[in-house]
Amino acid sequence: MAAADIPIFSMLRDRMRWHQDRQKLLAENVANAETPGYRARDLRSPSFDELVQGNAGSGIGTLRTNERHITGSVQGGSRFQVRRDTGVVTTPDGNRVNLEDEMLKVAQNQMDYQAVTGLYQRSLGLIRTALGKR
Amino acid sequence: MDFLRSIRIATGGMRAQAGRMRVVSENIANANSTADTAGGDPYRRKVPTFRTSFDRELQATTVQLGPVRQPQGEFQTRFDPNHPAADARGMVKVPNVNSLVEAMDMREAQRSYEANLNVVTSTRRMLQRTIDLLKA
Repeated sequence: MAAADIPIFSMLRDRMRWHQDRQKLLAENVANAETPGYRARDLRSPSFDELVQGNAGSGIGTLRTNERHITGSVQGGSRFQVRRDTGVVTTPDGNRVNLEDEMLKVAQNQMDYQAVTGLYQRSLGLIRTALGKR
Repeated sequence: MDFLRSIRIATGGMRAQAGRMRVVSENIANANSTADTAGGDPYRRKVPTFRTSFDRELQATTVQLGPVRQPQGEFQTRFDPNHPAADARGMVKVPNVNSLVEAMDMREAQRSYEANLNVVTSTRRMLQRTIDLLKA
């Protein structure tokens, strides 16, 4: 039995992947903070139900109505839902990135990620205790 | 590895801002560069542009320094009959560089650069946390 089969680990792994994807989007936003016409983007946070059911970020896939169909999925893109930021100030050149907001999000993302990896470590410790290694 | 992608996106942003800084410093350095022939044109201000492109390898929209443009328009003149660049009326064309505008641009570039650097630092910490899981 792999560690990924234990629900808590798969949940935490999904969450870590979400933070990883979000960091990439935030990096894009900051890099394009002064590109005319660029609109900031962010990831929609997965709901509790999605995390529990383990289908968070099923992403965009093709529907198979016949078993001979080939499954397809969008390559490279995030498995999570991307949304455009609304309600932020637009500069005259059409740019919609608020650098302060983005910095806050980056810091928050990093802290949340630390919390998740901390939980992961604790869960590993629990298993180790159960095995009698301590 | 997705974290390395984030770092590369931010590095691209830093590179673009560094290029902007280079153009700004060129402008400031040439703020007094007049022509050396009578009635000649002085230094013309350069303006950097940014271009977004979709990087297929990174699967992300990255930023690059676009072509550097020079805004056209009339130069301001200054009365200095003894200057080598003075025309028949004794007027010398001066560069269209406004050091206040350039200083503002410089601050802006610095701020953007720091923001990108911040993203790199933060992403590196997250990456370190992932590696630390091995030690658990």
